[in-house]
Amino acid sequence: MHRTTRTAAVAAVLLIPLTFSSPAHPRGARRIDTAQAAPSYTYVGTVHAVNARAGSLDLITGVGMALRLVHMTTQPTTLFAGAGASLRLRALQPGDIVRTECRSTPTGMVASRIEKVEAQKP
Amino acid sequence: MTRLGVALLFLFIAAGCNRPVQPGDPIPGLARAERDRFARGKVVFDSEFTPHTGLGPLFNSTACGECHEDPKAGGRGDEVEIHATAFSGGVCDPLVQEGGPVIQQHATPALKQALGIDSEPFPPSASARAMRTSPVVFGRGLLDLVPDSLILSYADPDDRNHDGVRGRPNRSLDGRIGRFGRKAFVPTLREFNAGAFPAEMGVTDPEQPTEENIGGKPIPPGVDSTADPEINQEALELADDFVRFLAPPTPAKLGKEGRRGRELFSQIGCATCHIPTLRTGDSPVPALRRREFAAYTDLLLHDLGPELADICLGRAAPADFRTEPLLDLRDATKFLHDGRATTLEQAVDLHGGEGAAARNGFKVLTPADRAALIAFLKSL
Ligand code: HEC
Ligand code: HEC
Repeated sequence: MHRTTRTAAVAAVLLIPLTFSSPAHPRGARRIDTAQAAPSYTYVGTVHAVNARAGSLDLITGVGMALRLVHMTTQPTTLFAGAGASLRLRALQPGDIVRTECRSTPTGMVASRIEKVEAQKP
Repeated sequence: MTRLGVALLFLFIAAGCNRPVQPGDPIPGLARAERDRFARGKVVFDSEFTPHTGLGPLFNSTACGECHEDPKAGGRGDEVEIHATAFSGGVCDPLVQEGGPVIQQHATPALKQALGIDSEPFPPSASARAMRTSPVVFGRGLLDLVPDSLILSYADPDDRNHDGVRGRPNRSLDGRIGRFGRKAFVPTLREFNAGAFPAEMGVTDPEQPTEENIGGKPIPPGVDSTADPEINQEALELADDFVRFLAPPTPAKLGKEGRRGRELFSQIGCATCHIPTLRTGDSPVPALRRREFAAYTDLLLHDLGPELADICLGRAAPADFRTEPLLDLRDATKFLHDGRATTLEQAVDLHGGEGAAARNGFKVLTPADRAALIAFLKSL
């Protein structure tokens, strides 16, 4: 940490976001435009924790080394799929890779579909 | 133009073509527009952030170029950062709920005032603390383009050829092959760069627009008033292009001793993991496309023994590290993931586990041969 040139002035001009209005959407998400009022997101990540009784799931997603947790709840209508067979929330374990489709609601993320992705062998 | 003028011009062009690539130079053969992006990207890479322009609330340093700076932007740095995860029952928990895996060492004045902390609290559930020196990022654009199939062709997790080396790829959270970072956890250069803004500087960007929590707790109100994302897409892409276009420096010309050292490097098994040349696949950038380059890595994980072990990450167990690309070693004064080795001899001596056989091969060399091998490494 011994640089002498300081480029803060240039940075200020260059780095101020041009789009303050663009809403920050949740981490790791790919937003899908649907006709529904609630925006939909797809997350692919590693299961961190499952609470089968509460019907909720914590997923680790992220970009590079900047990792984030996404908490989502399931509903009776949530579709489960995995390697051709049907799946239940309680069958998921920490370390499993899943693809989830969610809706952002006032009470948080609600999963509409959870699919277990077969982990590739090394 | 006079005949002499023409001759001089040819000489000048020829000299230009053969000029060795220096640390910090762009990849030769970039188009003018790409060189322009390299130059503008360097400005972003070297930009100092302040709380007003998005720094923090937690951060490790104020600019990419503060840590990757020696001997030129994109080089090594003296910053050593701290990572923490928990390893239990064969599953690795990156401790996101406690602020992991990167534990930032600084806090903005506003955060300090709100919580009375100077750095992110160390995660109570961590099973280990990892120290990470700031590496060179030269040539990473080429490593990014090595096809997965080539990496997998070097993997031998079950040691079918009985050489004691069991290279295997790490996987990202969504199952792709990893290649960046000391644990090869991050699959693409773009993702590493996009994640470095928030992880290192607390600067959110369009690909990671959410600030991280403070040791698992929400950011106190009023502490981070800059709107997310704190840099725009163009700034992110320029910084990414700068890193992508940084060339690996040309290895120095080898004398007799160095050539002997290069031979020994293969003979005693160093080249089993440190694969001397790799080849890139397709790329929209012609200068990066289908290029052979000096890599000295297989981008795979190897168990280097309990002495070097620290944290797990993804599928990398505590003792697993990615074969470090051997690059710009002539400028390095510290070696291995935490900088514990201060000479190349020490770095080799500390190879245990899958690296033990090659290390033993080095130990039994004559002093002259050991010196030759070191001379070769110093040419890189
Ligand atoms: C506080 C110092 C620090 C800052 C600031 C920093 N880095 Fe790094 N960088 C590191 C360390 C330490 C590592 C090694 C991480 C690891 O091994 O897991 C690293 C690794 C990397 C790598 C991967 C290299 C490899 O061999 O796989 C890239 C690419 C990179 N940094 C780019 C950036 C960019 C772009 C920025 C700015 C957005 C940045 N870094 C800011 C310290 C820093
Ligand atoms: C089994 C695979 C393997 C073999 C064989 C191997 N290495 Fe390594 N090497 C690694 C890994 C993995 C690292 C990273 C270790 C770390 O960061 O702690 C590394 C790191 C290094 C470094 C430090 C680079 C830096 O910038 O910090 C040097 C130098 C090195 N190896 C030289 C050698 C030499 C010389 C040999 C032969 C005697 C050799 N290696 C054999 C896997 C191997």
